[in-house]
Amino acid sequence: MDRRRLLKGTAALVAAPRLALANERLRIGLTAVILADQAAFLARWADYLSQRLGAQVSFTSRDQYQAVHELLSNGQIDAAWTCGYPFVRFQSQLQLLAVPLYKGQPLYQAYLIRPMGGEVTVRGWSDMAGKVFAYSDPLSNSGWLVPQGEFAAAGIAQKDLKKSFFAHGHRNVADAVASRLADAGSIDGYVWETMRIHGMPGATQTEVIWRSRLHGFPPLVAAAGTEPTKLEALRRSLIGMPKDDAGRALLKSLNLDGFIAGQPSIFDSIRQLARSVSGSGVAA
Amino acid sequence: MLSRLPYRVQIPLGLSLAVVLAALLVTAVAAQIFARTARADTLATVDRAAQLLSAQSLPLLAADDTWRVFALLRNTAAFLPGAATGQARAAVLDSEGRVFASSAPQLLRTAQALLGQSVSGQVWPSATAVTTRMRIDRPDGAIALLEPIRSEDGQALGFTYIEVDAPVFAADWAALTQPALIGVGLAAFLLLPAGWWIGRRMTAPVLSVAHVIEGIGRLDPAELRRKLPHTKDPELGRISAAVDQLISELQVRQQAERRALSAERMAAVGRITAAVAHEINNPLAGLLTATQTLSVHGASEETRKRTLDLLKRGLNQIRTTVAALLPQARVEDRALEIDDFTDVLTLAHPDVAQRNVQLTTQVEVESAMRVPSAVLRQVMLNMLLNGVSAAGEPGTVHAELHADADRLRFSVAHAGKALTQDALEAKVAAESGDDPRGFGLWVCREIATQYGGGFDVDSRHGQGTRLVFWMPNRETHEELAAD
Repeated sequence: MDRRRLLKGTAALVAAPRLALANERLRIGLTAVILADQAAFLARWADYLSQRLGAQVSFTSRDQYQAVHELLSNGQIDAAWTCGYPFVRFQSQLQLLAVPLYKGQPLYQAYLIRPMGGEVTVRGWSDMAGKVFAYSDPLSNSGWLVPQGEFAAAGIAQKDLKKSFFAHGHRNVADAVASRLADAGSIDGYVWETMRIHGMPGATQTEVIWRSRLHGFPPLVAAAGTEPTKLEALRRSLIGMPKDDAGRALLKSLNLDGFIAGQPSIFDSIRQLARSVSGSGVAA
Repeated sequence: MLSRLPYRVQIPLGLSLAVVLAALLVTAVAAQIFARTARADTLATVDRAAQLLSAQSLPLLAADDTWRVFALLRNTAAFLPGAATGQARAAVLDSEGRVFASSAPQLLRTAQALLGQSVSGQVWPSATAVTTRMRIDRPDGAIALLEPIRSEDGQALGFTYIEVDAPVFAADWAALTQPALIGVGLAAFLLLPAGWWIGRRMTAPVLSVAHVIEGIGRLDPAELRRKLPHTKDPELGRISAAVDQLISELQVRQQAERRALSAERMAAVGRITAAVAHEINNPLAGLLTATQTLSVHGASEETRKRTLDLLKRGLNQIRTTVAALLPQARVEDRALEIDDFTDVLTLAHPDVAQRNVQLTTQVEVESAMRVPSAVLRQVMLNMLLNGVSAAGEPGTVHAELHADADRLRFSVAHAGKALTQDALEAKVAAESGDDPRGFGLWVCREIATQYGGGFDVDSRHGQGTRLVFWMPNRETHEELAAD
């Protein structure tokens, strides 16, 4: 990536004038890529963005990625925080809005987790035959695409599993494994770490037994035909969050360092993985 | 132990104990009923939970949504009795009887085959055998409920499964005991003082009766009657009436005792009067004869002087006898002399002559006589007149006076009817009793006893009777007798 060009573009965005959208609404769809069911936090974040944009910002959460993308394609929302896998899968219909920075990078890992304590029956992907496995979402990179690639690499077909199911969210995957509803599950590493920071049982009662390579962090996207001025104002506000106390506090709650404009190339590893997995919807 | 307590404590304490026992019994019965009701309530809750789960899980089962079925089970099972302690759990089984999801995946593992299997010694019916709601009661008291989940067209998509462990149905005595004890405590707090007060109120009339009974004989009967409780209680009424009657009878008895005491005093006065009259009358006949002798032969100086001396000594004897009856009077008595014996013979002469009795005497004085003359004259005259009376007509009487340094003895013997010692004792007792006649022998016995001597029948005497009186021959007779 041309780092110099990226920074230059970011500076130009930050310096852009306030969006003249006083009477407009800006709706952002959320998926399970973050712990988005904390209403008080979302209200604070919406207020923050509304003040910066001069528009009325609201968040709409769905526990299935597909539902958020349907809202986006229907024009019911203006932007969505989705996953890298649906971005590369539907890239022709989307445009990149911003990419979060996690531990200073726009990257994250997928984790394979198992229950903590008790009899150890799973030590890796190859032990999953005859076991119950929890996915997050059919459009999740860490919660479906990565496990598909690893199962294939381990030579385990879906029929070799005793059972598998979708938990409709990374947090639910952690809870399903912690309660031993599933013997193991694949989860967004950022979500698991954030849950652990918050002391949530789903993280404290599970342990990570495998970490994937780094992939592009779940990005914020907009429909391809969305009016640029509207998006640029939102992008500028997101990127400018580390510059004030309120923005830094919100980022701390998100366990993120900030946002960058990003480039589609960040998600090349996901694209490559999707091409290798049959049924991923991404042409090889 | 209770029976040793006073009646005024027994009744309130008994009432209080009855209150506590009643409260405990009611609590025990209520606990039993509560335990039975709790089991019925638990079963009803399980039934309702099964209905809810079957309805809610139908679309989720159809959509093969394991997570949402799990979420539903987790939330619903929390309402099952015993779920909080891990003693109740719920699951949804798929159409083949495998665990689709459960509220306790560690016990009912996901995808574990259940129906048609033998698990922990429990043989489960096959999936096809469960066509309606089925409750399985286990020997240890636990229950399991199976209910088919059917689509609208009747297709079996799976089963709702709930199991509740036996301890959930066991009565939680610890939890029951606390409110029961609080109830007993409240009952005791409220009812014990009431029971105590009622008990004291019940015993108050009895205590009044007891106090009245204690006062009988000491307090005025009218006051006692006033203190008797007037109650409508039939038992206490009977007791009060009986005590009232007792007081009345006691009054009658006390009046009778007073009358008897008065009569006895009158009788005693009569006996004393008779005795005094007897003792005065004894010498009177002789003294009257002496006055007649004086009037006939008073010209003779010697006869006049001897008769006047006789009269003087006889009157002194009467004065001494009367003075003995007056506590304040103290008459100095002189010692006995031989002339006193002669006087006694003279005073008895009228009776001796009248009864045609031959009187013989014997006097043996070896030492000076120091005994009081008045009482000895009284004794000698009594014994002599008695002997003359008992000797018969004609009869013989022998009087004998003997004195030595130690004692003085006077005896009268006659040939008349024999008198035994027992007969003498009976006669003396009779004379001291109600028989006013013949006080002579009784007076002799009293004087002998008073002066430390004796008055008995001589058992060795032959025909007839010989009575012997003796007393110590000294001046301090009363002090010795008192010792």
